[in-house]
Amino acid sequence: MQLRYVFSELGQGLRRNLSMHLAVVLTLFVSLTLVGLGVLFHLQAEKAADHWGSQLQIQVLLCNNDDRNPACAGEVTDAQRDAITTVIDENPEAAGWDLETKDEAFEKVKELYGAEKFEGDNAILTADDMPESLWVELKDPEKFQGIASAVTGLDGVSGVQDMRRYIEPIIGSINMLQWVSIATAAFLVVAALLLVANTIRLAAFARRKEIGIMRLVGASTLYIALPFLLEALVTALLGVLLAVGALGAFMYFGIEERATDRLQFIPWIGMEQYLVGVVVVAILGPLLTVLPTLVLTRKYLKV
Amino acid sequence: MIRFEKVTKTYPGHAHAALDQVSVDVDKGEFVFLVGSSGSGKSTFLRLVLREYRPSAGRVYVAGKEINRLASWKVPRLRREIGTVFQDFRLLGNKTVSENVAFALQVIGKSRGDIKTLVPETLEMVGLTGKGDRLPDELSGGEQQRVAIARAFVNRPKILIADEPTGNLDPTTSVGIMKLLDRINRTGTTVVMATHDAGIVDQMRKRVIELENGRVVRDQAQGVYGTSN
Repeated sequence: MQLRYVFSELGQGLRRNLSMHLAVVLTLFVSLTLVGLGVLFHLQAEKAADHWGSQLQIQVLLCNNDDRNPACAGEVTDAQRDAITTVIDENPEAAGWDLETKDEAFEKVKELYGAEKFEGDNAILTADDMPESLWVELKDPEKFQGIASAVTGLDGVSGVQDMRRYIEPIIGSINMLQWVSIATAAFLVVAALLLVANTIRLAAFARRKEIGIMRLVGASTLYIALPFLLEALVTALLGVLLAVGALGAFMYFGIEERATDRLQFIPWIGMEQYLVGVVVVAILGPLLTVLPTLVLTRKYLKV
Repeated sequence: MIRFEKVTKTYPGHAHAALDQVSVDVDKGEFVFLVGSSGSGKSTFLRLVLREYRPSAGRVYVAGKEINRLASWKVPRLRREIGTVFQDFRLLGNKTVSENVAFALQVIGKSRGDIKTLVPETLEMVGLTGKGDRLPDELSGGEQQRVAIARAFVNRPKILIADEPTGNLDPTTSVGIMKLLDRINRTGTTVVMATHDAGIVDQMRKRVIELENGRVVRDQAQGVYGTSN
């Protein structure tokens, strides 16, 4: 297949329909950025929930060696721990429990404040300083009083922590941001699809004479559709690049530079989550332009 | 080469059949005039040959293929066997004469080498030597039609379909175009030409198929345009 024609058509098509293509690129850029932000907010909410427990969990802190709580008489013993878990197992409000070891607790602290402060001889904390705890899964997030009072006062229990009071508003706002960006993105995605459809209609109309001749002399459908598909891919690529850049800027200026310093107690998303967002955007972008192009070229360029 | 077996074509939304039980056989190398008033079914006949439509009933064979059964993706291959010329030339105004002819080869993936030899050869054959760099606008109507014929013939199709190719031309120019079509016919190409031009039909004395209201009312070897003549 001679591709010279296809590429010259591609360049011509992009230039001829520049304003429409720009509209597609910009709409794609904004909608993909919002989708990406939605993904990032979602991952942020997930990460926060992982750290603090979801709204269905409360944390029962167990005594450790130098617990200042008068209820504690040194490190929790195996027998005490078994007694506590039995109480939890028998409580109707609890759906289950999970033991967080000293090491796991220590890892969480390291993740939040940076590992370097906790390594070597001058470490301000070691795993041994951390308390063990039991994460109790609730059947109903509103019903936790019973289980809280059941375990409070048991030997080896230092206290019951219901982090939800602090976390809920934070996770709530993150969730709201997530839905706002996804909902806005949904509208813009529809706009982008319509724009792509219009662009193809215009392009097919502008080239109707060529297309008519190509069909008559026996050019294959793929050959006729190829310039349209390439145009769609180029606009998608530009939209994706802009969106990836915007998400990168958000990660750098929003998360790295500001949030991580000012709100240290929240575990913030990082490179890994950014890449997830990039992958989602990179897949969605071409789909949004290539799929309608395939459908519409079948309609307009039917042999 | 072209065979219609009791072909009926009814367009959606129309009560009357555009073609009604038409049976026609056109052999390889024949020259056939298709005559009849507007709306008699000439264009529908040609479009069925090009497989722009499928027949509503009956069978159409073109170049050995039954077009009813031809898969959509095989249609381009069929059309490479057929050259088509129209009354309104259908040239690309932004391309030169050579480019217009080369376009037909480019888009079916012919190599640059083939194009370099075939295009000048064909332009010479249609009598446009030295005009390859002109734009269609700079040519007369007859010359533009020659470009269109060159484009239709450059891939050496088995069948040439001409839909009123002289409809926009004066009688003298038309004669030139007919001579050209005759020459193409003598290379072994089957030519089917729909026309209203009585003078030309009478002069050429080729086979004439007359359609009326979608039916074949006359199929005459070495015929003339009107039955009264």
